[in-house]
Amino acid sequence: MIYLSMTLSKIFRYTLLAIFNALIVYAVPLALTFESWFFLSLILVIGILVNIVYFTDRFQPMKWILPGMIFMLSFVVFPAVYNTYVSFTNWSTGHILTKTQAIGVLEDRVFTPDDQKGLEFEMYILQDLDLNFYYVANLDSENILFGKAVSDDEIFSTSYATHEPSLFINGEFSTPDGYYQLSGKEQIANSTTLQELSLVIDKNTRAQLYKISVFGASTGRLTSTSQLYTYDEMNDALFNNATNTLCPVVKDNFECEGKEIEPGWRVYVGGENYSKLFSSQRIRGPLGVVTKWTFQFALLSVIFSFAVGLLLSMILNKDGLKFQRIYRAVFILPYAIPAFVSALVWKGLLNPDYGVINSWLGPLYEMLDIEPVKWLKTKESARSAVLLVNTWLGFPYMFLITTGALQSIPKELIEAAKVDGATGIQSFWRITFPLLMVSISPLLIGSFAFNFNNFTLIFLLSGGGPPIIGSEVSVGWTDILISFTYKLAISGGRGNLFGLASSVTIIIFALVLIISAISFRYTKRLERIYGNI
Amino acid sequence: METSKFLNWVKEYGWRHLIALIFVTFAVYPILFVATNSIADFANLTNSKLIPDGLTLKHYKLLSSDPLVPYFKWLYNTYKVALIAAFFNVFLGTLAAYAFSRLQFKGRRASLLTLVIVQMFPSFLAFVAIYLLFFQISDIAPFMGLGTHIGLILVYLGGSIGFNSWLIKGFMDTISPSLDEAAKVDGATDFQIFRRIIAPLSRPILVVIFVITFIGIYSDFILAAIFLKDKNLWTVAVGINTVFIDDFNADWGVIAASSVIAATPIAVLFIFFQKQITGGLTAGSVKG
Repeated sequence: MIYLSMTLSKIFRYTLLAIFNALIVYAVPLALTFESWFFLSLILVIGILVNIVYFTDRFQPMKWILPGMIFMLSFVVFPAVYNTYVSFTNWSTGHILTKTQAIGVLEDRVFTPDDQKGLEFEMYILQDLDLNFYYVANLDSENILFGKAVSDDEIFSTSYATHEPSLFINGEFSTPDGYYQLSGKEQIANSTTLQELSLVIDKNTRAQLYKISVFGASTGRLTSTSQLYTYDEMNDALFNNATNTLCPVVKDNFECEGKEIEPGWRVYVGGENYSKLFSSQRIRGPLGVVTKWTFQFALLSVIFSFAVGLLLSMILNKDGLKFQRIYRAVFILPYAIPAFVSALVWKGLLNPDYGVINSWLGPLYEMLDIEPVKWLKTKESARSAVLLVNTWLGFPYMFLITTGALQSIPKELIEAAKVDGATGIQSFWRITFPLLMVSISPLLIGSFAFNFNNFTLIFLLSGGGPPIIGSEVSVGWTDILISFTYKLAISGGRGNLFGLASSVTIIIFALVLIISAISFRYTKRLERIYGNI
Repeated sequence: METSKFLNWVKEYGWRHLIALIFVTFAVYPILFVATNSIADFANLTNSKLIPDGLTLKHYKLLSSDPLVPYFKWLYNTYKVALIAAFFNVFLGTLAAYAFSRLQFKGRRASLLTLVIVQMFPSFLAFVAIYLLFFQISDIAPFMGLGTHIGLILVYLGGSIGFNSWLIKGFMDTISPSLDEAAKVDGATDFQIFRRIIAPLSRPILVVIFVITFIGIYSDFILAAIFLKDKNLWTVAVGINTVFIDDFNADWGVIAASSVIAATPIAVLFIFFQKQITGGLTAGSVKG
């Protein structure tokens, strides 16, 4: 029986491994075709690890650890390494592809040679109910071609025109059902669009509208297209068949007569992104602002929420006070709600024109005779609002931890100070507060580190805005480093600057490392960790 | 006599109640505002009345019927992704924790320390690399590439497995080794000890870690936002951002209703597990 179950578990194990290896074997050639070298190495490392660990019995503990480790390696450690690599490349919009892929795209481009005075024939322009254009080309009575007219972008995805002799009855063109025939005037009105469209007849031949006639049928012309660029491997250059010129490689693009050809490809650029961050005035300025504000935001958030939390826990730390449990329950509420909901709700409340905050403050504005605050629209109001909301989000946590810490301070200490004539304020600053800080400072540093990267709050509340005018990249006065990175990489309106964004990420990594080192140095956190190791 | 007694009360307790009440207002007002607006007949941003004139459920009905806002699809996506990711996270974390707690091997301390150090850096920091990595995975294996739930779940799995297994390991260490030693003498294998003894006894911490991980993933915005492009695949955190328009004409009642639905289950879970989530070891791993 035992023998049987052993065999069964073995069969199970080998089946899983076989499936796993099949996946690896499937993925490797794909990774090769797409030239994802980093990805390829990741697959290979995981593949080898899994096979060594599960085929042999030599690494028993690893059998338990490896499944979790694979995910950590793939999606935490590997991205960190990959991020470093990306920060040394020009990876960005226009430079997304590898060189081979870019050449592939460019070699698909076509052009119409000038010397081709193709055949001329009758053209009819139709439109369907979705307002798509269709062409009918009457080459001769034997060849009547019909199909959708497409722009250059769609040429490779469209199907060829079909032969439709039934469109002509007794030599007269009749509009098929569901289509509308454009008159000459309507063709002129649409001529800009129509100029760009062509009817695809075969791989190299197209029919285009040539002359619009107000009376009778317009004229079409056949054009044959040829490949625009041919890659010349010997010279590592692109040959432009239209102009008969050689377009050499200039860094990360081919350049034809001084003009860059899109798309380029991604290349290693050394420290270029970093030097851009620190030397380009229009990036360095905003980066400095953002970095300074990141520290201010994280520090002030901790200070404010700690101050409120401590105040409340001190107030409630009194024997015989009624409603203590109710107060405690209520103070936890802001913490219990997902931050993405709270941030959005506050954004609504703070709306300068319709929000309830300004309608509350209305009488105050009138009394002081000042303009209502344009919450989130100016630098100062946006920064104050972000801090206000983060205090709201953060004070319950501080309240909870200070309550716990206060209760663990022996009452005798305070009593003894009282006997010695210390005032309440003295005994707070000399005894309670220092003792509190001993147990709470690691948590405060943790809170600082959390707010340092509090993307959700900033992004959903202020969106980083209001924008800093005159900067080369999109960035605002309440942006912190991580939201600045997000704008560079994903949503900046200047394309995806992955390389540059990654170099900012490296700065964040370095700062987080320093913060953690400080936390290890000045608190007992490391000992606590060692205690659990 | 009566006045001096009152003054005494003010000096001892009264001012405490006053300050506490101010902060009760601060804490509760936005929450009540949203809750009442979600059931108020006439709901808008300026409506500062906390007790609405007429009660209605029409905003909730509207939210479930608007084809342009597939809110309940988002909710379903969120629960699906968060439950699956949290389950595997705890499952794989528990396996690793068992090895760290019960098996002796070279490099055990070093790898534990590495785990903790690696997890000091929140996994979303390298979101650019994660984005580009999955951008390439889309070419090779589209079913788990950018824009898919599988891909997102994989990223969430990596995100906290190290820290979680470290926490679980800490708990397992408190289970007396004499139990499994006795089992070993009786011929139990490692797997049997794990399944029959250690895992069942670790259940309290596993539940807590599961809840913490679930709440963390449910509340994640940044990774879901870069990952999911298709409206029908969004999670609540991503979708709700598009519902919220702080315009005068915006249907604030619907917005409030969507907030209530998104927040209530998490708030209940959180309050129920509040002690464990904020207590000691786990502090700051979800929020802070």
